[in-house]
Amino acid sequence: MKDDVSLGIFLCTCGTKIGGRINLAKVKEQLGREPGVRHCSIHSYLCQAPGLAALSEQVQTQGLNRVILGACSDRIMKKKFAAALKPLGLMAPQIDMINLKDHVAAVHEDRAPVLTRKAVALLAGSVGSLHSLEPYAPLLADFQGPALILGGGISGFAAARELAHKGMASLIFSSARQPEDVLQGLSRTYPGSRIYFKDLEAMLAEVFASPLVELAPDRPVEYVVGQVGDYRVGLQQDPHGVSEISGSAIVLALDREYAGEEGWSIGGAGRVINQLELEDRLSQKQVNPGSLVFWVNHREEGRLAQELSASAAWHTSQWLAREYPQVTSTVLYPADISLPVSGGDLVDAQRRGIRLHPYNPEIHPVVKSGYMTYVNSQDHLEHEVGWDTLVVSALPSRPGPKAQELMRVLPIFSHNGGSLKKGPMALKPDQRPVESLILTGSALKLCDLDEALSQGKNAAREVLHLRDKALQGSLASPLVVVTVDQDLCEGCGLCNEICTCGGVENVASGNGATPRHVSPFTCDGGGSCAAACPYEAMKLLNNSSQQLEARIRAILSKMQGNEILAFVCSWGGQGAAELAAVKGLSYSSRVYLIPVNCLGSIDPSILSMAFLNGAKGILLAGCPPDASCHYGYGVDHTWHRVFLMKRLLAMCGLDRQRLALGYVDVDQPEGFVRMAESFLDRLDKLGPVEPSAEQQKKLLAAHATMHRPRVRWVLGVSLRRPSEHDFPGDQYNVVDFDDSLQDVLREEFLAARILGALTAGALNPPAIAQALGEPTTAVTPVLNELLHDDRIVRQRWEGGYPLYAMARP
Amino acid sequence: MINFTINDQEVSGAEGWTILEVAREHGIDIPTLCHHGAVEPSGACRLCMVEVHDGRRSRVVASCLYPIQAGLKVATDSDRVKNVRRWVLQMLIDEYPGSARLRALAEAHGVKPSRFKSSNLEDCCIRCGLCVRACDEVAGVASLSFGNRGVNKEVTTSYREPSPECIGCGTCLYVCPTEAMEKFFNRVRAVA
Repeated sequence: MKDDVSLGIFLCTCGTKIGGRINLAKVKEQLGREPGVRHCSIHSYLCQAPGLAALSEQVQTQGLNRVILGACSDRIMKKKFAAALKPLGLMAPQIDMINLKDHVAAVHEDRAPVLTRKAVALLAGSVGSLHSLEPYAPLLADFQGPALILGGGISGFAAARELAHKGMASLIFSSARQPEDVLQGLSRTYPGSRIYFKDLEAMLAEVFASPLVELAPDRPVEYVVGQVGDYRVGLQQDPHGVSEISGSAIVLALDREYAGEEGWSIGGAGRVINQLELEDRLSQKQVNPGSLVFWVNHREEGRLAQELSASAAWHTSQWLAREYPQVTSTVLYPADISLPVSGGDLVDAQRRGIRLHPYNPEIHPVVKSGYMTYVNSQDHLEHEVGWDTLVVSALPSRPGPKAQELMRVLPIFSHNGGSLKKGPMALKPDQRPVESLILTGSALKLCDLDEALSQGKNAAREVLHLRDKALQGSLASPLVVVTVDQDLCEGCGLCNEICTCGGVENVASGNGATPRHVSPFTCDGGGSCAAACPYEAMKLLNNSSQQLEARIRAILSKMQGNEILAFVCSWGGQGAAELAAVKGLSYSSRVYLIPVNCLGSIDPSILSMAFLNGAKGILLAGCPPDASCHYGYGVDHTWHRVFLMKRLLAMCGLDRQRLALGYVDVDQPEGFVRMAESFLDRLDKLGPVEPSAEQQKKLLAAHATMHRPRVRWVLGVSLRRPSEHDFPGDQYNVVDFDDSLQDVLREEFLAARILGALTAGALNPPAIAQALGEPTTAVTPVLNELLHDDRIVRQRWEGGYPLYAMARP
Repeated sequence: MINFTINDQEVSGAEGWTILEVAREHGIDIPTLCHHGAVEPSGACRLCMVEVHDGRRSRVVASCLYPIQAGLKVATDSDRVKNVRRWVLQMLIDEYPGSARLRALAEAHGVKPSRFKSSNLEDCCIRCGLCVRACDEVAGVASLSFGNRGVNKEVTTSYREPSPECIGCGTCLYVCPTEAMEKFFNRVRAVA
C-alpha cells in the first residue's frame, strides 16, 4: 500500500492572509523533499473556481491519490474540496487540510521565518498521516425483510398501518390479538382517550386484517444484532431456546404507564379516586351519579404532565356528558397551564354542562368532604365547588419492564430514571450513523395519544425513506467507523459497555467472552471504544491511531525548544482556536494544534509515544463535559487517560504538569487563548527538560506500560458508562480504585523497565536491581511474575543467582 | 477561455466563473462581506459591486454573482464603484453602529459615521444570510433560517426556539462577518 502513495501538496495564499505571513515558496521547497510528494504548488484562492480547476487538473494529470491542502479550516472547507475531488475517485479521508490561516498565519505575532517553520512541521505531519492511511470505502446497505415493531406501544400500530399503506411488510411483537386487547391497555398509558376508541378500533381492525402486518407473540428479547436492512432479534422461547427473527429496521414503540398514588391519600375511599380508577369504573360502566370534579393536581410533576392530565379530564368529561347524563363534570385546572380546548369546544362544554374552572396555583385548593375550595386568579375570590366524586391526577411512572428489557440490548438510556433517549447524535450528516432504530411513544417524552400516533406514522415514513435510499443504492455507512480485528479480540466486552451508539455487538448471541464486532452503519466513529480496548483489537477506519501517531512523530521531529502539542477536539477546542483567529486574537506560536474529531479517540499510548519522542508539554482542549461532548462521554474518558499518563510521567521523573486537559466551548475563543497561555506559563516555570539516557529508558518503559492489556483493562473499569449519570470524580469507591490502579501501574512499569534492561543481555536479579536503581526485594516478585507469564526465561544459575533473559517471541 | 479586462489588465477565465473569482485569482482585491468560499454566492451585501462595460453600456453589478463574458471591461475602483461602495458601508455602519468589525471596514474605506444613526447598539446582524447558507450547505443541518420580511427580516430558528437540529459545530460563528452570531449562538444551540 505504501508504495502506491502519490502525494500532492497545494498551498493557498488566501489573498495575502496566508501568503503575506508565511514564506510559501520556502515551504514548498522544503516539503518537496518529503517522501512520496509528487507535486507541490502555490495558488491564490484554492476554494474559488480557478483554484478548484487547477487542483482537479493536477490531481488528474499527476495521478495523485493523497491530497494535502495547506489552506484554511477543514471544518468549514473540507466538504467543498471533497465534493470537487470525488469525481476523480478521491475520498474525503484521502484529503487532509492543514489550517495555515487560522492555526498559523492569523493568530501569531511572530515573523515569517518562525511561521514558515511551523507551517512546514504541520504539513510534514500531514504527509506522515496520509502515508499511514489505509483508505476504507463505505459500505452500501441492503434492505431486506419486514420492519420489526417492538415494545407493544400504540404508536407501533400506527407505524404498521402507514407501512402497509405504502406496501411494506411489518412484524408487530405484541400479545394483543384483536383491537379490544390493545384498547383495554390504553387506559393505563393514555388515560382519557376513551372518546377516540371508536376511531382507533377501526384503525386497529385494519392493521389486524392487513396481509402485510404479521403478529408475533411478545417474548422477552434476548439480543438484537445487525444493522440497517439486516437486523436479527433473538427472542426467548419456552423453556430455554432462543428463536431468531430478522428484519430490515426496528421501530421501538414504548409507552409510559400511569400509576395511582402511593403513600399519599386524602382519604374518602371510593369517593376520592384517581384518573386510572375512574377509567376502571368506565370500563365496567359503573359511574356514580352526581357531581364529579376533576382536580388537576401534582404540580411537582411539571407543566407537561399537568396539561396532559387536564386534557384527559376534559376528554373524559366529554365522554361522561355523552354516556352518563346523570353525571355533571367540573374540571379544576391550574391557571398557568394551557388547556387544549378551542372556542368551539368551550361552546360545546357549556351546552353539555361541563364546567372548566382555572384555579390560582399559588394558593393551594382545599379539599373537604363533599366540598372543595379554590381561588380564582381573575377575581381573587375564594370559590366553592361541591363534589360527590373527586378525581385526582394519575402519575406518570418510570419506564416499564419492557423498556428495561430493551434498554439492556439496545443503545437507549433512561434519563435520570425517566424519559428514554438514544445516545447523542449531534453530528454532521456525513458522520451520522444510519438511523434505523426509531423510538416512538410516550416513554421518550410524555405526550398524548394523538402525538404518539403521529410519531408512529413518522417512524414508518423514516423506515420507508431508508428503504427508498437503499433501493437507489445511496444508503451508505459513515466514512469513519470502528472495526474489530477478530484475531486480537478476547471478548472482554469493555467496548460494549462504554459504547453509546450501539455499534458494538457480540459476533454470536450469548454472554461471556464472545468476540465483538462493529456494525458499520450503526457506529458513530467516536472511537473511545478503540482507545479503551485492552488488546488494541479495535481501529478507527480512515482515522486510525497509526495515522495520528505518524502525524505526531513527524511534527515532533521538526519542533524546537519549548514548543508544545495541543490536541484540539473539532467540536470544542478547534472551533474556539479558529474563532480566535477570525476575531483577531493572538497567542504564542509555540502551540502546535493537532485537530482530532474527539479527544476520546486518542489512544493513551499516543500520549506516552509523544513524550517518548520528545514532547515537552501536551495540552488537550476538549468540549466542556456533560454539556456538549458530541460522543457521549468522550472527554470524560480522556480525563482518566490523561490522569494515568500523569502518573507515568511522575514515575519517569517528569513533572505531572507537563500534561493538562482543558475545556473550552466552540464559542469561547478568549477562553482558548487564556488556556494556551496559562499552560505555557506553567511550563516556563517548570524550566527546560534535561534529556538523559536514563529518562529516555523510563519513557520507553512508560510507553510499553500503556500498551499492557492489564493496565488498559484497569483503566477501562473507571471509564464512565453511558448509563451512568455521576461525574467520574464522584464514583463509588474512587479512592480505593485509584490505589489499585496505582499498584498495577507501578508493577507494570517496573516490569517494562526490567524487560528494557534485559534487552542488552541476560542479567541476574542484583544486577537488574542495580541497573534500575531499585532494591532487589522490589525487583524479585516482578521477575517471578514475568517468569510465570513466560515473558522472560531463566537461562541458568550462575554464582548462586538465576540468570534471566528475554523470552524469544 | 474567455478573455476580458479588469482595470485594463488582460485576464481570462473559464465558462461559469464569476468576476470576483477571476479578480481574486489575479490578485485584484474586491471587498466582500457575505461571500465565503464554502458556500454559494448570494449577492446580499452589495459590497462587491464593480462597474462592467459590455461595449454598449456600463452598469454596476455584484461581482460575486456576475459571470464573466468575452470582451467585458470591468472596473473595480472607478469613481462610480467607489461611490456605491461608500454608500453601502455608510448605511451599514449607521444601521449597525454596534459592530466593531463593520466600523473597522468602513474606516479602511474612509467612511465615517453620519449623524443619522440607529439607536440599537445590540443588533450587529446585517442580514447577509451567510450563516443561513453555511448552516445548510456546510453543516448540512439547516437549523438557521430567515424569519419575517422587509425591515423586520431576521435570522432565526424554527418557532424561535433553540433548534433541536443544531449540532453546535460553530460554522455560523466562523463565517459571520460581524459580531452578530456570537450574541445569537446560544439561543440557537439546544444545550443537552
